[in-house]
Amino acid sequence: MATADHAIARRLASFRERRARWIQPACHLLSLALLVGTWQAIGNDFGILFVPFTKTMETLVALMENGSIPAALLVSGKIYVLTLVIDVVLGIAVGLMLARIRWFAAAWEPYVYLLYTTPTVALVPLAFTIFGFGTGPQTLIAVIISVFPVVFGVMEGTRSIPRQYLDVATSYGSSESQLWRDVVMPYVTPFVMTGVRQTIALALVGTLVAEFFLNTVGIVGLLAEGATEMNPSQVLAVTVVVSLIAIVLVGVGELIERALVPWRYETVG
Amino acid sequence: MTASALPRPDRGERSRRLLPVLTGFLLLLLWELGVKAKLPAYVATPTTILSAIPSVITTGGFWSDVESTCGAIVEGVAIGSVAGAAVGLVMGRVREVGWFLTPYIRGLYALPLIALVPVLVLLVGYNDTTRLVVVILSAFLPVAVTTSDGARAVRKEYLDVGRAFGARSHQVWFGIALPSSLPHIMAGIDIGLGRAFTSAVAVEVLASVNGLGYTLYADSQSLHDSASFVNVVALAIFAVGVRFGVRVLSRSFAPWYQPKEVVA
Repeated sequence: MATADHAIARRLASFRERRARWIQPACHLLSLALLVGTWQAIGNDFGILFVPFTKTMETLVALMENGSIPAALLVSGKIYVLTLVIDVVLGIAVGLMLARIRWFAAAWEPYVYLLYTTPTVALVPLAFTIFGFGTGPQTLIAVIISVFPVVFGVMEGTRSIPRQYLDVATSYGSSESQLWRDVVMPYVTPFVMTGVRQTIALALVGTLVAEFFLNTVGIVGLLAEGATEMNPSQVLAVTVVVSLIAIVLVGVGELIERALVPWRYETVG
Repeated sequence: MTASALPRPDRGERSRRLLPVLTGFLLLLLWELGVKAKLPAYVATPTTILSAIPSVITTGGFWSDVESTCGAIVEGVAIGSVAGAAVGLVMGRVREVGWFLTPYIRGLYALPLIALVPVLVLLVGYNDTTRLVVVILSAFLPVAVTTSDGARAVRKEYLDVGRAFGARSHQVWFGIALPSSLPHIMAGIDIGLGRAFTSAVAVEVLASVNGLGYTLYADSQSLHDSASFVNVVALAIFAVGVRFGVRVLSRSFAPWYQPKEVVA
């Protein structure tokens, strides 16, 4: 039993060895082909509620050409970028304050954690009855949903700088600016980047959630329009666009992290 | 060590304990006075929320909402976590399966699940099955991702020892790979829970499924903000409780591992 087991394992290992170069792209391609194929094959099985892949692509091209997707992306993109900028600036500021100012941390930390653990999406309807509709409240909601990873990243990073590093730097006569540039920044960057990467993805969640609770002219507006008009090809086309955007954003986050924190990727195997 | 040998809290420590209570009180006071001074009467304040509690929790709908939403979250996260751990383990241990599934798992993981609600509503319908599907996905994806990372990073020494002692493949899988991925699984469940709450509430509102999320939305739409807020508080208590429980569990499973903070 055990020897047969090992014989199979050995054969598998040698097969993998010989085919290593093309087997990974082949797996990716095969799985994508399977998705598109299944989609195409079952596309007509749900009556008017679903459409095949090719029909979805036709709609996608049409929506791109008549300008509705680009226009919607512009609206949503503005909120997204605004949210991300506020997240990073506010997150770094609050994170540093929580890490460096003792009374501030004592007074506020429990509430920051409470707000973070609360499903903030539940506050969205209430926020709209108070602040009304428009870009301002929408951005506010998106920021509340997406700011925390940066806050905690900066806080944890700054708190965990080993005392010795600072002591060595000061005893060799580092000035305050040198201390920040040569010790604090390199030490904190990986923590901050972990937070920023999550926030890049979460800001999209925040933007979409904020839009979902309003009938906007943004990308969610197109999605909702397709759903209420029972137009599955529009729903699917816009969902494909949102998926691609999400994947690209996550990829960009990883690229930024890789550029700023190259050593993190060396040990992962 | 006896109790008397423990250091007594000095004044600085006692004031550090007192400070959060003070801030909390100040926050509530500011909220109360600020709303009274500036905002219309329907906007909730701490006192109106307190006085709304009895009438909200005595209505029959409240407890069935709690059961419906919390039940769906517990059920969905349980299903999603088990499935995610199983798939993640295979993805991590069998390279080809990993390559085959990674585009979907990573792609869906990157996608805000709220964007899938319209498609799912078309396919599954305006009912609580849609909510369950989205909650399952919310837990499944992060658990699959973290577990596959964990299973891939099983230390080589453990595997070598197993092989040296002639471990069969099921022993390697369930005796070595699974336990050493456990901290990753728990971290995934923590992320998944955070996402599950958001998803459940969002689906309830978007697909008109009865539950705490739908009720708090309907209440706020009819300007019953205080009643709405009671539902928010109930949801928050449940969320904080469950996530705290999972943290405690993961600490006892894997005391050396600190879960990464992720929400959505």
